[in-house]
Amino acid sequence: MSEYSVRVKNTSKKFRLYHEKRTTIYESLVGSFNRKPHYETLQVLDNISFEVKKGESFGIVGRNGSGKTTLLRILSHIYQADSGSVETDGIVVPVLALGLGFHPELTATTNIYQSSILLGISKKQITENIDEIIKFAELEKFADVKLKNFSSGMQMRLAFATAVQVDPSILLLDEVIAVGDLNFQKKCRAVMMDFKERGKSIILVSHSPSDIEQLCDRAMFLKNGHIDAIGKPPEVLDAYRNYMDSLQK
Amino acid sequence: MTTIRDEMWKFRGILFNFAITDLKIRYKNSVLGILWSVVEPLLMLGVLFFVFSTMFKFEIEHFPIYLLSGIITYNFFKNGTNIALASLSNRSSLITQIYFPRSIPAISSCLTASIMLIVELVILGIFMVVLQFTPPLTIIFLIPIYLLAFVFVLGISLGLSVLNVKFKDVEFIWGIVLHAGFFLTPIFYQFDMLPENVRNILQLSPMVQIVTMVHHVTLYGTFPSLNSILYTSVSIFLILGIGYLIFRKYQARIVEEM
Repeated sequence: MSEYSVRVKNTSKKFRLYHEKRTTIYESLVGSFNRKPHYETLQVLDNISFEVKKGESFGIVGRNGSGKTTLLRILSHIYQADSGSVETDGIVVPVLALGLGFHPELTATTNIYQSSILLGISKKQITENIDEIIKFAELEKFADVKLKNFSSGMQMRLAFATAVQVDPSILLLDEVIAVGDLNFQKKCRAVMMDFKERGKSIILVSHSPSDIEQLCDRAMFLKNGHIDAIGKPPEVLDAYRNYMDSLQK
Repeated sequence: MTTIRDEMWKFRGILFNFAITDLKIRYKNSVLGILWSVVEPLLMLGVLFFVFSTMFKFEIEHFPIYLLSGIITYNFFKNGTNIALASLSNRSSLITQIYFPRSIPAISSCLTASIMLIVELVILGIFMVVLQFTPPLTIIFLIPIYLLAFVFVLGISLGLSVLNVKFKDVEFIWGIVLHAGFFLTPIFYQFDMLPENVRNILQLSPMVQIVTMVHHVTLYGTFPSLNSILYTSVSIFLILGIGYLIFRKYQARIVEEM
């Protein structure tokens, strides 16, 4: 495990796609007499294997629904994989497209506490860092404002700033950079460079080819749940572009 | 059970954090805030006292204290299970974005209810002073009784929290159960006012047993019978076991239902 921080071997994940979802007991009871299968299984990830080295940043590209976010959720133990093995070395912090599990009725400060404690940081440590987090997110005026009043860009900034101070060994970023304004994007890139220099791994999901090309050492193209291309970013991006072009014809 | 204990220890910081934020969210935008957890049982007490002492002329010794101790005990059960019921489904954004043990919301709901219980017990104490009622020394046994009640609430909470994500009906069914339970528990009447065949069935309810125990030690200075203590303990730990099994069956996949 010394050289790699993430090791995924033959991992698969299926979801049940309910065509008419039964959520009440009555419907389930009626449904159990009705033998017709009411769902189909969707193979979201099909036999995925890859590794990420320490100090490496790894990009993932693919169409919407190709399994990118599901993969990040499996890496951060939110989902359980159906088969295969997933090994991660150190704290994993996922910053998914919707934030960091923030609660709309709580203030920015309370949310930072809640999420950081969940990610394994002690309360004392958060108290020491909280001013810095808020400053990094450029939200000094909004520290005591409830999150429901934040714009999506502000929420994303807060999520990124909180995730960074946890100082994880593996940082998972899902469509994060694109949300902030230009200055914040610059800051994000600087932080990512710093992370890499300190031997931490970053997995970046992005639809921006330039981000993948500039920020990632290696990349992977996910097509309908399996790996279509993996390697140097330019080659992977070519495969991705060719595929997208072929769909348009 | 050992894994659940290890996880709890690791995540103990978040247990209290959840319990406090539950209270904050519960009383958000309300002027009285946490005072509501005091006002609510007092209003209940006022209504029940009026109905049963002036309209029905019940003659129960120390009726206000009898009523209030029953209401508080039942409230602990009601609050704990009600908060736990929605504790997972209300946190869907958190659960789909950060990993933490799925049992934490249910357990922290029981802590929230415990905090409310303590506040309400203070009110009971104030009532005793005002009514110049000197409780017997046995009142100290409220502590083990409420610990037992905590286990009971926890067992039900674990099961309800995952079931409510799977089946939305649980919320409505549980509302009816809580309502019925309030009337089927000796809170505003005495248990021996009931016909014997009804009593034989109702005494199977752990909540009936617990409220009776509370009356024993706070009002009469007597102990519940050994049979009652044994039955209550065994049934409550059985319920905890069943709740835990239901929880374990559903917990891993619950996030996919959100």
